[in-house]
Amino acid sequence: MAGMELLSDQGYRLDGRKATELRKVQARMGVFAQADGSAYLEQGNTKALAVVYGPHEMRGSRSRTLHDQAVINCQYSMATFSTAERKRRPHGDRKSTEMSLHLKQTFEAAVMTQLYPRSQIDIYVKILQSDGGNYSVCVNAATLAVIDAGIPMRDYVCACTVGFVDETPLADLCYAEEGGGVSSLALALLPRGGQIALLQMDARLHQDHLERLIEAAMTACKGVGKVLDEVVRQHLQEVSVLTSD
Amino acid sequence: MMEVCGSGIVNLREFGCEQSLLSRPDGSASFIQGDTSVLAGVYGPAEVKVSKEIYDRATLEVLIQPKVGLPGVKERSQEQSVRETCEASLLLSLHPRSSLTLVLQVLHDDGSLLSCCLNAACMALMDAGLPMSCLFCGVTCAIDTAGQIITDPTATQEKESRALMTFAIDSTEHRVMMSSTKGSFSVHELQQCIAVSQKASEKIFQFYRDSVRRRYSKTL
Amino acid sequence: MKDTPLSNCERDFLLKAIEEKKRLDGRQTYDYRKLKITFGTDYGCCFVDLGKTRVMAQVSCELVAPKENRPNEGIMFFNIELSPMASPAFEQSRQSELSVKLNRQLERCLRNSKCIDTESLCVASGEKVWQIRTDVHVLNHDGNLMDAASIAAITALRHFRRPDVSIQGDEVTVYSPEERDPIPLSIYHMPITVSFSFFQQGTYLLVDPSEQEERVMDGLLIIAMNKHREICSIQSSGGIMLLKEQVMRCSKIASVKVSEITDLIEKALENDKTARKAGGRCGYAESITQERITALKMDETPVEVTDVKETASDIIQKAEPSPHKVPSLVVPVPGVGQVGQGLKNTWGLEEEDDDDEEEEEEEDTNDNGSAEQEEDLTVMEEEPHKTGESREANVVELSDSEEEEVIILHPETPDRTPKNTGSTSHQKGAAKSKKRQKK
Repeated sequence: MAGMELLSDQGYRLDGRKATELRKVQARMGVFAQADGSAYLEQGNTKALAVVYGPHEMRGSRSRTLHDQAVINCQYSMATFSTAERKRRPHGDRKSTEMSLHLKQTFEAAVMTQLYPRSQIDIYVKILQSDGGNYSVCVNAATLAVIDAGIPMRDYVCACTVGFVDETPLADLCYAEEGGGVSSLALALLPRGGQIALLQMDARLHQDHLERLIEAAMTACKGVGKVLDEVVRQHLQEVSVLTSD
Repeated sequence: MMEVCGSGIVNLREFGCEQSLLSRPDGSASFIQGDTSVLAGVYGPAEVKVSKEIYDRATLEVLIQPKVGLPGVKERSQEQSVRETCEASLLLSLHPRSSLTLVLQVLHDDGSLLSCCLNAACMALMDAGLPMSCLFCGVTCAIDTAGQIITDPTATQEKESRALMTFAIDSTEHRVMMSSTKGSFSVHELQQCIAVSQKASEKIFQFYRDSVRRRYSKTL
Repeated sequence: MKDTPLSNCERDFLLKAIEEKKRLDGRQTYDYRKLKITFGTDYGCCFVDLGKTRVMAQVSCELVAPKENRPNEGIMFFNIELSPMASPAFEQSRQSELSVKLNRQLERCLRNSKCIDTESLCVASGEKVWQIRTDVHVLNHDGNLMDAASIAAITALRHFRRPDVSIQGDEVTVYSPEERDPIPLSIYHMPITVSFSFFQQGTYLLVDPSEQEERVMDGLLIIAMNKHREICSIQSSGGIMLLKEQVMRCSKIASVKVSEITDLIEKALENDKTARKAGGRCGYAESITQERITALKMDETPVEVTDVKETASDIIQKAEPSPHKVPSLVVPVPGVGQVGQGLKNTWGLEEEDDDDEEEEEEEDTNDNGSAEQEEDLTVMEEEPHKTGESREANVVELSDSEEEEVIILHPETPDRTPKNTGSTSHQKGAAKSKKRQKK
């Protein structure tokens, strides 16, 4: 979008946020009854739905069974109505396959797969409305779904996309900011240990700014982590209130 | 009246060959004719998929990869020609229930591509040490508009020719193992081209012998 | 074909050696293998040897219509082919995980970083733009395909020359290389990837892993940079957990390596330019070194063919005509050619049986299959009309047949009978029934 300032002089972005402000996060866990775990997460205008099945017996190719840990099978897809123009091919193209691989890699690092040898955990994520930060929202939604399924994890996996404009890191990019040729960095973090599960960056960024950008991303992720923690605790309270009656 | 060539001499372009240039395949060779160059890699005998196994012979699979784009129907027909030639010369019954994979990569195409593929394939099979009953070589002849026979044509010569023929000749009895032709020509011209190819194949076989001799020699 | 798995003792040996800061080929932790760049005969063809890993890149261009949302920009298309030659584990079918990863990484490294000026590729806005297609073929896999592929791709793009185009009003003329010299692409910067492999949960780090090191590694971090110290892309893969300090350290190492590699590329391009200017033949053929024992070159050889004509005439005279009699062609009706009569059917049905069933069959047993195919070929163009004999065919229609609609053929009348999808086999069935009547 030429001509639109991504960061005004007073420090306000296109949607009125400050540079380090995250979008509003709303989440619900336990959305589907038949799935083992499910979650719905909205981060600003990006909406994602995550569903977890497992751990269960290996389905599909038995040859891929691992004798000492569980296999995590992820599928990422976007709804055809999620973008401004109708998406012709929601899954199977290279971008979706790459995203699925990244999700798989992220969760393999976080989920304690040694507890479930010879089994399979399926994570399906669907983007219902895409407004930037697709990967991060998917990871956050999938974290909640995995927690809802009761699968033990080492820590929350929080993800956030940050960009770099005018020497300032912007946290949690929206679609307009992503498309403007801004260098964007997607980071998936386990907040307690500060360990990075996935780091992905596109577009040019000078090496000297890298450290600041990663710092900003980690801070933003920790912020997201706090919100997710809140959501989980609240959900637990609701559920325990319901069941105690 | 068909003339072979007024002076009774046809020319083959420069040859070059290098063997064992790739570390992963069991045998590899690159063959260069003028500007046309083809790289061949052979894997085998190796494990074969149950669906493709043959109980008394090895299964030979040939793949030709073009330089630009994906393999299409043209590559499939060339693969067929190369595979038939190789199956005729390899002793496949020595390795039942195994697979031999021959992969050819076109590095540059400046005419006579199929014969360059055949030559590269033969050298790669030799390099892999697969048992063969005879060696084979490929020769391409083109008949230009004046009726002259040109061997080993370049791409421009191929485009201007009236007919284009590729023959695979074996080394023991200099017979034709495979032929692939394009264009119109008479029976006389065909026989002349076959005779020319047989003469030309002698030079190529001499080149094979020299390469292998050089390779196993103690002094350069 | 399956790849040979790595044995446990090999794996343990590699890991132990890495712990002691030793590598199998004697390199240091941050050393690259020997990098060799050569060019092919035509512009845009480049071979890269990184140790034993061998990769070839070819750039080609074509005029196409631009994308709708970007009418002023040219199109860049990248494709990495994992040739089955490179490793026994690579199959011809493309969509393996590694293939997707490499392709996406190359696209992100080269396309998203905007290293090429796509607006200069526009010829007629909204109608014709150049599509630059880069094909990278992996010829030998000995580790670190990503780096080799990125070096090959960017070098090939630098080497490539596209045809010159001139626009006069509405007319666009594309000049061939003979008419006007082709012009190079406008490339802003050269992004090159550097791969770091991590072992033992991120404790040990190696640059430019070889194939065996790749098999035992935990994960890979790929950083694409250019020599101006701008990071074009970072990607961590594999289930490793990184710390921020590790990423910073890797980026510093990467900047050093990238500047070294960029210098090498520039030197190679310079050498090639001088060689071409000097008019010498350049290309793959010239790069074969004569000192190697496995290589041999032979110059143009003349072949004596003086007695060819006599040999050829001899052969033709001695050749006897083929004993196999080919039946001659019969044209029963204009537009239909028939060769051969086919065989009598051997079903053993009664002659006078009027309840002939007309069904679709596959006629493999029929020896004159080729003849029938000829009939089919000619028939496909025309309406179905098979006349072998001038005789009526009594054909009975079965109303409750499970197959498709049955056609009634009247050989005498040149009426057009309706054709449906199963008609070819119907013809065979019809012809057979007619032949049955012949008895």
